[in-house]
Amino acid sequence: MLSSIKHYTSVTWEYLKLSILTVFEYPANMIGWLISNPLQFIVGFATIQFVVKEFGDISGWNYGQLAFLYGLAIISHALSMIFFVQGWFMGFFVIEGDFDRYMLRPMNVLYQFCFTHFNLIGITDLIPGICVFVYGCIQVGFVFNLRNIVALLAILVGATFIRGGVYIIIGSSTFWTKSVADFGGYTQEFFDKTTMYPLSMYPESVQFILTFVIPIGWVSFYPAAELMGLSKDAFMPGVAPLISLGAGAAVFAVAAVIFYMGLKRYESAGS
Amino acid sequence: MNSIAAYFYVYKIRIQKSLAYHYDVYGNILMQCIIMFAAAFFWRALYAGETVVQGVEAEQMYIYTVISTAMSVFFMNDVEQRVMRSVEKGTIAVEMLKPINLYGIFFFEDLGKLTALLFQNLIPILLIGSIFIAVPKPASAMAFLLFIVSLIMAYLIHWLLAACFSMWAFVTINMTPLLQVKKHLIRLLSGSIIPLWFFPDWLASVLNCLPFVYIYQLPLDIYIGKASMENLILRLGIQAVWVVVLLVLFVVLQKIAVKKVMVQGG
Amino acid sequence: MAVIEVKNLTKEYKVNKKGKGLGGAVKNLFLREKAIVSAVKDLSFTIEKGEIVAFIGPNGAGKSTTVKMMSGILNPTKGQVLINGKDVAKKRKEVVMDLGVVFGQRTQLNWDLRLGESFELLKRIYRIPNDRYEENLRIMNDILGINEIIDIPVRQLSLGQRMRGDLVAAMLHSPSVLFLDEPTIGLDVEGKYAIRKFIKEINRVKGTTVILTTHDLGDIQELCERLIIINNGELMEDGPLREVTERIAPFKTLVVEFYDGETVEHEKAELFYHEGNIAKYRFPKADITAAQLIEELSAKKEIKDVSIEEAGIDDIIRIAYQGGNEKI
Repeated sequence: MLSSIKHYTSVTWEYLKLSILTVFEYPANMIGWLISNPLQFIVGFATIQFVVKEFGDISGWNYGQLAFLYGLAIISHALSMIFFVQGWFMGFFVIEGDFDRYMLRPMNVLYQFCFTHFNLIGITDLIPGICVFVYGCIQVGFVFNLRNIVALLAILVGATFIRGGVYIIIGSSTFWTKSVADFGGYTQEFFDKTTMYPLSMYPESVQFILTFVIPIGWVSFYPAAELMGLSKDAFMPGVAPLISLGAGAAVFAVAAVIFYMGLKRYESAGS
Repeated sequence: MNSIAAYFYVYKIRIQKSLAYHYDVYGNILMQCIIMFAAAFFWRALYAGETVVQGVEAEQMYIYTVISTAMSVFFMNDVEQRVMRSVEKGTIAVEMLKPINLYGIFFFEDLGKLTALLFQNLIPILLIGSIFIAVPKPASAMAFLLFIVSLIMAYLIHWLLAACFSMWAFVTINMTPLLQVKKHLIRLLSGSIIPLWFFPDWLASVLNCLPFVYIYQLPLDIYIGKASMENLILRLGIQAVWVVVLLVLFVVLQKIAVKKVMVQGG
Repeated sequence: MAVIEVKNLTKEYKVNKKGKGLGGAVKNLFLREKAIVSAVKDLSFTIEKGEIVAFIGPNGAGKSTTVKMMSGILNPTKGQVLINGKDVAKKRKEVVMDLGVVFGQRTQLNWDLRLGESFELLKRIYRIPNDRYEENLRIMNDILGINEIIDIPVRQLSLGQRMRGDLVAAMLHSPSVLFLDEPTIGLDVEGKYAIRKFIKEINRVKGTTVILTTHDLGDIQELCERLIIINNGELMEDGPLREVTERIAPFKTLVVEFYDGETVEHEKAELFYHEGNIAKYRFPKADITAAQLIEELSAKKEIKDVSIEEAGIDDIIRIAYQGGNEKI
């Protein structure tokens, strides 16, 4: 067990090192993304501003609270881009035969799929995310004490795994369909619609699904409500960050099961 | 040179190819419907308690959502990626210098894909949207006809914009970030998500000078009847001007690109 | 000792039948027929330690499927593969420690970075101890001169250099079995020479068992003591090159030069080539001797010159690819 942990840690460090070296190999690429990626959050931010201006508070959330919510959502989005964006392109990995190679190495296949490529470009999403979040924090007077920081970390880890799990579930469909279609754009749009606005604005049936079935509510909405002390929208007050963490573990476990079922199919059908 | 026959051939092949990928089709319908429902719920939540905001009725917003989702089917080409791939593989020189215009082939392939998508995606989306969200009635028969005209021009603007952007592939190695910029600009500035009606006046008038609004906003305005006839006709004229401007720009850029390819030999 | 045991290996696929044309495409959208295709049928053989074995057969014969099942990428429908006594399908992670695999058409090297970075990564993935890693790199450098290219980004390497890199990458963890899928495809003469030399050396020095699939006659002639011919998913032939030749190509070729462009026929020999004054006859060794054939031909028409060619590897491949049951 211990030697196994050491093994995976040393390989992970090496992958990280290689990813950093790759970024330096193509600096112009990073600069390009550094300009283009923040744009989408300026777009998102502007959208919120227009909406609040025209329609007033959304489901009782004012502009500052929405910024807090949106910032939290972007940060976990950025983290999920760094670690799990491959899920969007699983079809290409299958077609290109990358899975053949993963199967030939003495390591867990899902681990290899997730960590062979750290997408450090995701940092270009992280920066605007932190800016928006800090702006939101100032607006709502959020205090960075130890308890809140620990809660934030738990939320971000959980949210990242919820997103990553969903990417992997959608990507795993490629094992059955053999399609290289990339649903990343749709996935992101769906997450945008469900994580940058309060869930309570949607009908109760939708809220139920997004709380218990596909627990996207735990990515940003419930934890944000808790952190800002919005008792109307808080759910399971006091332990919401822990639930985010648990939801992340649950979604990712389901994703792993589906992934391995797909891999079984791959093993019996080939590419 | 019988290039018409060649174009028709690639058109037909592309339809066949599109029909072969069932799962992509189902996946796309599912995803687009989810997005459509999310957007509809979004507007419903915003309109909670009010019937008219900025002179826009909730019902109109639902129609807007259904039609703009359906319209997205028209804007799913990938000219840039294909040119980028050819440049990467180094086959672009041979392809550019073939007697049949490369972009001509791309255009007819895209038309083929669109033809398949009309049946595979557009009809299901309209059906599902009509049943669950709102029946997208056009403002009038005349409005519907003008909408079709405007939609065709919107298709051309979007396609030509992509074709012009694709020329960047000859200059930079990785233009994916650039394409992202374009995607987000279109997303926000074309009115595909938030209609221009809710934008501040000064911004709306700036946007009216850019080509983006003629991709989504104008056809939607016509369909819903959200402006006077004179205003719409005037903007249809501007849309036509944009088609011509982009066409000229495209032809010029293509000439330059061919020259560059000839000099470098690819 | 048997390193690899393949027992009754069978692979079946379900495939969708596709209709033709636009009508077929529309029909397929709603109705789909399934059919079962056997890619590999009841294959059994064993490979001993230190053997170099060539898999040959036409494209789509089941070679790749077999190699994929032998290396644990694909699970067999029936039967099993044991490597060093372990079932490949059940103990993947253990078995792959003993396997090196090179796909001629796909690299496992990191395209963007210098070659050495890929080796460093593999060192950690396979948990190769420092001293063994250094030792292996030194051996590889002696054979392939890998140090010359170790600091060059992989994308800038020539195909031959990249293939050398891939071979080293596959051998870094000292596997006892090396699978090579078309290792010399697309290489120039020098490149092929280097790869073949490497395979021979590694086999001699480390006793590595090598299994390669190839379409290249030179690979087989220079490397392989043993040939396994697969066609339509079935084992056609298995044995040393010479024996297989005797068995499926038991004939010689007589090349005759006449004084003019006309030729004569002979009932026991097939005239399969005729250009100008040269004619080539293929005849079964069992039916007639070369001396007899020359005598009988010269009785019919005056002969200027003759030479005799043994059946070669290309004949074997030709016959195997035609279905393996050609009578002369």
